[in-house]
Amino acid sequence: MRAAGSGWQAEDGGRRDWTGWLFVAFFTLPFLLFNLAPLLFGVVLAFTEWGIIGDPVWVGTANFEQALADPWVANAFWNTFLYACTIVPGVVVLGLAFALFVHQRWPLSTLARTLFFTPNVVSATVIGLVWVWLLDTQFGLVNRYLAFLGIGPIPWLTSGDWSLIGVSIASIWWDLGLAFVLFLAALQDEPQELHEAAAIDGAGRIRRFLHVTLPHLRPTISMVVTLQIIASMRIFSQVYVMTNGAPHGSSQSVIHYIYQTAIVQYRLGYASAVSVLLFLAILVVTLLQRLLLRERAGG
Amino acid sequence: MTPGDSFSTRSDGTGSVGAADHGAIRHDSVVVCQVRPIGPIDSRFGRGRAAVTEGRRDRGRQAMDTKWRWSRRSLARAMGAAAAAPFLFHGRAPHAQRTIEIVHWSWLAASDGEIWQQSIDAFNEAHKGKGVQIKMELVPEEQFVTKVLAAVVTGRAPDFGWGTAGLRAKLVKDGVIVPLDDVAKKVGLDLADFDPFALQQARYPKYGNVLAMVPMDLMSLQPLVNLAHLKEAGLDPTKFPEDGAGLLELAKATTKKEGGKVVRSGILMTGSGVHPTVTWGIVAAQMGFERASSDLKRAAVNPKAGIAAMEWVLDLFDKHQVATRDVTDRYKAFGTGQGTVFWTGPWTLNGYTQQKLDFAAFLFPKIGQKRVTYFEMGGLELYKQADAGRYEATMAAVKWLSDNSFLWTTVGRGASPRKSILARPDYKTAGHDWKVRGAFIEGMSFATEGEIPVQAGPDFTIYSGGNFLAKTLEQVWAGKSKPEEAMARIGEHWQKALDAG
Repeated sequence: MRAAGSGWQAEDGGRRDWTGWLFVAFFTLPFLLFNLAPLLFGVVLAFTEWGIIGDPVWVGTANFEQALADPWVANAFWNTFLYACTIVPGVVVLGLAFALFVHQRWPLSTLARTLFFTPNVVSATVIGLVWVWLLDTQFGLVNRYLAFLGIGPIPWLTSGDWSLIGVSIASIWWDLGLAFVLFLAALQDEPQELHEAAAIDGAGRIRRFLHVTLPHLRPTISMVVTLQIIASMRIFSQVYVMTNGAPHGSSQSVIHYIYQTAIVQYRLGYASAVSVLLFLAILVVTLLQRLLLRERAGG
Repeated sequence: MTPGDSFSTRSDGTGSVGAADHGAIRHDSVVVCQVRPIGPIDSRFGRGRAAVTEGRRDRGRQAMDTKWRWSRRSLARAMGAAAAAPFLFHGRAPHAQRTIEIVHWSWLAASDGEIWQQSIDAFNEAHKGKGVQIKMELVPEEQFVTKVLAAVVTGRAPDFGWGTAGLRAKLVKDGVIVPLDDVAKKVGLDLADFDPFALQQARYPKYGNVLAMVPMDLMSLQPLVNLAHLKEAGLDPTKFPEDGAGLLELAKATTKKEGGKVVRSGILMTGSGVHPTVTWGIVAAQMGFERASSDLKRAAVNPKAGIAAMEWVLDLFDKHQVATRDVTDRYKAFGTGQGTVFWTGPWTLNGYTQQKLDFAAFLFPKIGQKRVTYFEMGGLELYKQADAGRYEATMAAVKWLSDNSFLWTTVGRGASPRKSILARPDYKTAGHDWKVRGAFIEGMSFATEGEIPVQAGPDFTIYSGGNFLAKTLEQVWAGKSKPEEAMARIGEHWQKALDAG
C-alpha cells in the first residue's frame, strides 16, 4: 500500500522518489569509499613496490615471496596464533565462570555484574597503559601480590618468554566483559524445567551443568569463540602500547608488523602483501569453523 | 441547505451556497466543507458552527496531509543541503584582513615539547595582528615521515616541521624537502652566524649538497647521575669516572640486588629497544668501529670492534650484573630511582628538573680508545608546497624562531648552533642549572657519532629501537644470536644499502 502522494508511481509516469536511494546512500557511499575501494587498492598494491612518493612499481609476486621467506613475518603469524590460543580459552572460560557467578544471584552479584563488564567500555589504549604499570617487574602490583605467595618477580613485559602472556592477560581482562554479557543472557534464557527434571532424576549440580547448561550454551560459546578468534587475529593496540612488539619481536602480532612496515618504514607494497596473507588466514580459519559447526549441527 | 450541499465562506464573512462556490481550496480565506447531518447543536450557531468545526477538521486533515508529504521530501532536501553546506561555504571568508596560517608539524612529545610550544606561542603573540600565525600539530615521531610523504603527495603538506639531520636523504632526493639556500638569503637569515659543523650536518653531499634544514639545536648523549645514590654509596657526588673501568666500579658500588637479581641498576639499561642499541653504537665507535667509511663506500669497518662492543653491553647484564633487562620504561625508571647512571639527551632535563630529582650530568667516559658520544642535530625543514609563494613567509617564521631560540637552547633541549646566542653572557646562567646542562654543551666537542647521510640512513642510526640494526642486536641481548653472527648480518645489510646509493 503506497502512501498518498508518495511519488513511487507518479501520475505523469516520469517522476521518481529518490528518498529511498538517499537513505541507502548514507551507508553505501562510505562503505564503497572507505572499505571496498581501499581493500581493492590494497590488494593491487600488494603486487607493487611503493614508497608513497612516485608511482607504484609493479613487482609481481615478489612481495609475497619475500613475506613467505621473512622470518619476522613467520614470527608475527606464530605470535598471533599463540595469542588466539591464549586469549580465546581465557575469555570463554572466565566469561562463563563470571556469568555463572552472577546468575546464581549470590551476594554481591549485582556489583559483580557491573565490575565484570566495566573493562569492556574502556579503550584498549587505556587498558594497555594501566597494565604496563600493573605488570612492571619491579614495582607492579601483580608481582607484589605474587611475592606474598612466595613467587619471585616475573618479567611480564621484558622477557621473551613472558611478554606474550603479559599482553594476553590485559587482552583477556578487556574482552571478558562482552563474553560475560552474552553468556549471562544465554543463562537467563535457559529453561528451568530441564534443571528440575534433571534434579528429580538425581543429577547433581555438576552433571546438570555438563548435560543441561552446556548444551544450551553451545550456540553462545560458538559465537564467543568466533568473535574472539577474529579479535585475537587483529590484536594491535595492546601490543603497541605495552611492548611495541618487544623484546626482540616476541610479542609482535601480524597487525603490529604491518603497521611497522607500512607506517614507520613506508614500505606500502610489502605491508599490503602481508595484509593479504592475514586476510587469507582469517578467511581459512572462519571457513574451517563454519565447516565444523555445520558438521556438528548435521550430526 | 440540505445534506450534500456545499457551503463556503469568504474572508469577508459572506458566504454562498452552491456548487459554483466550490473553487480551489485556499487555506487563508476559503473553507469548503460539506454539510453533514449531525447531532444536537447549539441553536445560536446551528449548522454554521457545525460546518466551521467540520471545516477546521478538514483544514487540519489537509494540513496534516500536506505536512506529511512535505516532511519526507523536505527532510531529504534539508539533509542534502546540510551535507553540502560546508562545501558551499568553504573558502568564502569575509573580506577582512586574511591571516596567513603557517602549518607546523612537530613530534616533540617529551618535556621539550612544552618549551617548543612556548616558542610557537611567543611567535604568535609577537605577530598578532600582523597577518601571520603558526598552527602547530603534534604527529607521533615514528609516523612523521610517512605522514609528511602522504601529505606532500596530496598537496596538503605542512609548511615546516622538525627534522633530524642526516636522516632525510631520501626526502631531499625526492624533492619533498625544499632546498633553503636561496630562500634563506631572501629573508635575511645570517648563515655566517651558524656553527660551520652544524651547517655541514644540515647538507647532503650525495644529493646536491643543498641546505636541507635550519639547525636549531645540537644534542649529545651524556650520563645523568642520581646523586642520592652516589651519596648513599659514600662516593663524591661532584666527580664522575673518566674511563670504562671507573664507570664499572661506580656501577657496582651503586647497584642493588635482591635474591641475586638486580633491583636497582648501577647503569640503567633495557633488554631491548633504543637504549642498548645506542649504548652499543657509542661504545663501538669508541673502540674504533665505523658504521660506514668516510667516503660512504664501505660498511661496518673494523667489525672486531663492533663485536667487542656487543660483548661489553652483554657483560653489563651477565658478567658484572650492574644492569637488568627488566626495565620497561627507561625514562620513568631513572625518574623513580631505579638506576644510578642513565645516558640520555638534553630533552629529558625539563622533566627531571620539574620533579626535583637530585641529579647531575657528566661527560661520557672513555670506554674505548677515543672519547666519542652520539651526536644528533635537530632542525626545521620546509616541505614542498603546491603554492611556492608560501616558502618565503614560512622561512621568515623559521628565521624568527631561530633568532629567538634562546629559551629553546637553555631550557628546552640542546646547545645552540648560533654563535651569537652562545656568546651571550647569560647563556650559561640562564635556563637549567649548569650542573645538569653543562655537560651537554661542553660534551659537543666529542659528540661526533652522528647519522650516515644516505637514503638508508634510518637503518644505520644507532638511536632507534625498531630499525634493522636494533632488531638484529635484540637477538644478541636476548642470547638468541652470537655477536659474530649479528655483526655479519649487519655488515651485509649495510653494504647493500651503501651500494644502492
